[in-house]
Amino acid sequence: MQIFSTPKSIKKDSSFSFCPGCDHGIAVKLVAQIIDEMNLQDKTIAIASSGCSVTLYNFLDVDCIESPHGRACAVATGVKRAHKANGKEMFVFTYQGDGDFASIGLSESLHSALRGENITAICINNTNYGMTGGQLGPTTVLGQITTTSPMGRNIEYHGFPIKTAEHVALCEGSAFSARVALYDIKNIINAKKQIKKAFECQLKGYGFSFVEILSNCPTNWKLSPLDSHKKIENELSKIYPIKVFKDITND
Amino acid sequence: MSHIKIDKNKCKSCYLCVDVCPNKLIQKSNCLGKTGEFVVEFKDKDSKCTACAQCAMMCPDIAIVEVVKE
Ligand SMILES: Cc1ncc(C[n+]2csc(CCOP(=O)(O)OP(=O)(O)O)c2C)c(N)n1
Repeated sequence: MQIFSTPKSIKKDSSFSFCPGCDHGIAVKLVAQIIDEMNLQDKTIAIASSGCSVTLYNFLDVDCIESPHGRACAVATGVKRAHKANGKEMFVFTYQGDGDFASIGLSESLHSALRGENITAICINNTNYGMTGGQLGPTTVLGQITTTSPMGRNIEYHGFPIKTAEHVALCEGSAFSARVALYDIKNIINAKKQIKKAFECQLKGYGFSFVEILSNCPTNWKLSPLDSHKKIENELSKIYPIKVFKDITND
Repeated sequence: MSHIKIDKNKCKSCYLCVDVCPNKLIQKSNCLGKTGEFVVEFKDKDSKCTACAQCAMMCPDIAIVEVVKE
């Protein structure tokens, strides 16, 4: 009996462009598995963003649009509304980094949530700007050393990091907001469950659904994949609690 | 016999599967992969694999392409 095989919605003979041990790969795999399980491949439009996941369309076998840096939720809004105006209900989700969602794109992201736009956003929080070489990002934690904060992030100069999932939960238009992690099997199973719930929220038309995925960045953290997972378990998950912050389907 | 299939061309030698396997059936091989490190191999002399698929869930590159339970 086949317990696991490569998801149908991953392109044949493609391989991920991510660094060895990067959680981006696990996240894309989960998304592909859920698209298969929910039979969404034909009606999905994925919105890729600038960042490490910029070439999402090279391995995810669904229709895909590349958005300018930070504008994924704005592009998703247009795609969703334009199809709706033509009488077609498409499934639209964005796949973004934390710099994309919560820094340059904070305005379009939070306003999509406030408008209750019926889309799903997946945000990979790896606490830095991964693709451009590990600069300080909006989610970089206090004391963390990056290429643009060589003495560590400090409150006087850089201010505090943003807790994205909590902020989205505060928006009245959002239907679902959760933070998940991928450092062990238990968390991977939970992550899959929460992403699935977010997708269901959109299919039922409840409004903006959001999943923040706490991820590693072995290359820019200068740690082995295993040590970077330990860092998430022991340090980052204390600062960024792994929790469902809002789920209107429960009320 | 339960087993897994590893695609050597996809393995990036992150060794997360080595750590996650409950029976320690995955190990470094002596074959170099495309990142210049040794890729992993599956060795199960005593048929200990239970096809729990934890390695496939963890692998970030879908290099574990198949898990079969028998
Ligand atoms: C308008 C604009 N400004 C800056 C850039 C450069 N740029 C490309 S990716 C990136 C950072 C992406 O970081 P993040 O969104 O956290 O994703 P990650 O790479 O960490 O997955 C930046 C600043 C750009 N492409 N476009």
